[in-house]
Amino acid sequence: MNQLYLLARLAGTRVAVATREVEAVVKLADISPVPGMGAHVAGLSALRSRVLTIIDVAALILGRRTPAEDRGHAIIADISGHSYGLMVDAVYDICQVPEGELPLRGQLDPAWLPYAGGIVEHEGQPYLLVSLSSFIEAGALVQAAA
Amino acid sequence: MDELLQEFISETQETLEALAGEVIAWEADPADRDRLDAIFRFFHTVKGSCGFLNLPRFERLSHAAEDVLSEIRAGKRTADPATVSAVLGIMDRIAELAEAVAIGAALPQENDDHLINALAERDEKEDEAPAAAEETAAPVAVARASGGQTVPRTIRLPLSLIDQLMNGVSDMVLARNELSRKLRERTGDPELESAFERLSTCVADMRDAISKTRMQRVDRLFTAIPRMVRDLGRDLGKRIDLTLEGGDVEMDREMVEMVVDPLTHIVRNSIDHGIETPEQRLALGKPEAGRLRLEARQSGNQIVIEVSDDGQGIDTARLVDKAVKAGRLTADAAARMSEAEKLELIFHPGLSTARQVTAVSGRGVGMDVVRANVERIGGVIALDNRPGRGLTIMLRVPLTLTIIPGLIVRAGGLHFAIPRAAVVEILHDNNETLQISQVGGAKIATIRAVRHSMIDLEDVLGMEKPGQQGPRAIMVVRSATGVPFAMGVSAVDNHEELVIRPASPLVMATGVYAGMTLPDNGKPMLLLDAAGLANAARLPNIADDRAALLAHEAEDAQSRVEMVSALRFEELSGERRLLKLSVIERVEDIDAHLFGRSGGRGFVRLDGRLVPVANGHQGLAGEKVAALRLRDGSREACYPVAAVLDIVDMPAVPDMVAMHGLLSGVAVIDGEHLEVLNPFALFAALPGEPIVEKDRGRCLLADGEDGWTREILAPLLRQAGHEVVLGLPADAVVDPRDVVLFSGADDVRATEMLAADMLGCRVVHLRATPRPSGPQDSSIYRYDQDALMAAVSGSKA
Repeated sequence: MNQLYLLARLAGTRVAVATREVEAVVKLADISPVPGMGAHVAGLSALRSRVLTIIDVAALILGRRTPAEDRGHAIIADISGHSYGLMVDAVYDICQVPEGELPLRGQLDPAWLPYAGGIVEHEGQPYLLVSLSSFIEAGALVQAAA
Repeated sequence: MDELLQEFISETQETLEALAGEVIAWEADPADRDRLDAIFRFFHTVKGSCGFLNLPRFERLSHAAEDVLSEIRAGKRTADPATVSAVLGIMDRIAELAEAVAIGAALPQENDDHLINALAERDEKEDEAPAAAEETAAPVAVARASGGQTVPRTIRLPLSLIDQLMNGVSDMVLARNELSRKLRERTGDPELESAFERLSTCVADMRDAISKTRMQRVDRLFTAIPRMVRDLGRDLGKRIDLTLEGGDVEMDREMVEMVVDPLTHIVRNSIDHGIETPEQRLALGKPEAGRLRLEARQSGNQIVIEVSDDGQGIDTARLVDKAVKAGRLTADAAARMSEAEKLELIFHPGLSTARQVTAVSGRGVGMDVVRANVERIGGVIALDNRPGRGLTIMLRVPLTLTIIPGLIVRAGGLHFAIPRAAVVEILHDNNETLQISQVGGAKIATIRAVRHSMIDLEDVLGMEKPGQQGPRAIMVVRSATGVPFAMGVSAVDNHEELVIRPASPLVMATGVYAGMTLPDNGKPMLLLDAAGLANAARLPNIADDRAALLAHEAEDAQSRVEMVSALRFEELSGERRLLKLSVIERVEDIDAHLFGRSGGRGFVRLDGRLVPVANGHQGLAGEKVAALRLRDGSREACYPVAAVLDIVDMPAVPDMVAMHGLLSGVAVIDGEHLEVLNPFALFAALPGEPIVEKDRGRCLLADGEDGWTREILAPLLRQAGHEVVLGLPADAVVDPRDVVLFSGADDVRATEMLAADMLGCRVVHLRATPRPSGPQDSSIYRYDQDALMAAVSGSKA
């Protein structure tokens, strides 16, 4: 159960992401917008010769576009063959959590429901365990189709 | 162990693919030892390998086949069609098993015994009726025009490794570009530059080489064809002579995969519906064996794959019949269709010319699917139908999916790419052949009288349209399906070869993008999808509706009154009127001073003639007057107007008829009520006899030798439109209308002048001094132009 987790702040909430889902964390540079898309797709950005689709996760969850000046880091992930960058507010740490995943307690905000799978505790603080691929598959694609 | 097994499987699969063609060729020519050996070797290898890999079923199958083949090699058996079929059956089973092992599925639980028995059974039957076997044979003669037997040495690589290499090279190119930018910013060091140059060349070569790894010979596309043709031919009792050509042409590996299905379908169709049975062919006077020919060739950056047969072609009449019966077409719409349009019906879903659904084709997967598949990869499909004599189907597909020539356009401050093949033409919106009009929010661009739906890219993508200085660019865009439409963008910036990569499904879900590309500046750019844009803008697809449109037009022609062309113009008095175009000879700008008036009638001096002015206008302002030159066949007239507007269609009989007067009625054109001039009344009102020039005689300049007269006076008078004669005519034939001018003061002249005066013509005496010499002096100062002209024109000062 000694899993590695990436701890970050996302849409104002502390989250943990299993590191096997994470490819890298980068500071966002230029983002070319994709007109005709909802707020949750911030645009395209080049990482060396790869083109990332940048997802504004906060916009996906809260329905509010993150202002350009607040764009900080993005978690890079390869989800079903395509490269995505998921915008986060801040990245705290990568650490091992001895207890591993704990079941969800309390009433979760419905906005987070499709993405959260459990809780990870680190130094007495709970972190919401989210799955990156769920943001794409359960969130963004569904919104795009709607 | 796993690795060994994996290698065995992929090797087996590959050899099987290559061998399928060989077996067919061997059947056609059983004496071909090389091919027999190759097949034998395959089974031998399989048998050997699966022994220690513990694959008993493989072993048993290959063992049986090997036995039979070795008998044939030893001359104990002949390679008759049934044996070949049995061998092929075993190969198929081995392929199935290999596939199952490869994906880790359970082995198909089928009994292999009947396959092995099929091999053995032949022995007995052969004894019974060897001749019959000969007859049922429908061997497919395969001729490979460029079938070099030497195979270059190859190694097998996982695809992911090649993709990794590609990405690596792309990174390298980007790094090189950045380095080159940095180098340019610094001072030039020739040594450094030449080193960089060398690196650049290496990177470029590398990129070329790597992109070649994606290429594959079209042969791979063809490998499955001979087997299919043979099996189909046997099932349907048809004899087919297959020719494969151009197998060495190379195309993108992915592209090969995309083309396999459409090609297979076309070949199936061709054999099932196209080529007739041997009996029918004989009756038609065709050779018994149908000719089927597959040819691949490279044409520019496209691969052309042609499938032609000499069968019956497409029966368009039956096609139309079916479409009408299926309710997709009305009978009268069908009657109006051209042959090409009828042929197009083959691509409509659910229409097949097959009289009955056979096992081979006509199972609902029609040419519509084929076309959709071909167009999805940016290809086109064309038909050349020769009814009764055959059909050629031409597939044109891009060489590769990944590199396309594209145009970079700017819209809403962003750059987009669009495939060049989709762009028909580009105009600036200030171009004269282009007219953009708006009605009810819809934009219509009329380019050289062809109306296109028009969209602005910014509107479709929901972007702001920033104001801009120069003209916007209008592109006529044609998608693979649907009608061309006009698309406005800020500007067309560049033309580049673009490396296209798939966009994430999220972005593709918008439907307006076909992919993305990363240009050298490192800013990702989206590739627009022409058909998607048209869909997103919900442009009407008029092409679908053509029959209805034609019907509508035909109705119009019948129900409407006869239309004639008319010129719409503005009268000098400001009204807008129409005049039948056929009576107008031409429209020209005439100098205002050429207009004059005589005997209550207006006239204009044109080309040395006097032409009556039809509407009697005079006192025209400005230097030039636009005028219509009218002609009724013999007589002509001039009709000055304020402005010529345009040419419109007007009913031959005006909507409101007035029988008398200059106007024949009122016509409504584009919602505007316009008076129609009556050409009959116009000409009737003209003076009957040609106008003779009454008050403009010749100007006889008495002092022809005088320098001032010759160089200054004469040109002045000529310019004013007078006919000038230098010197008095020797025969003294002076018309009373003539004006004699003299400037000398001598008495001899004066006497002569007196004589002239007596003849009745006016005499103008010019003097050189500004002041008259006395009260009796009626002469005019020669630089007093007004007085001079007045005197010459006759209005005596």
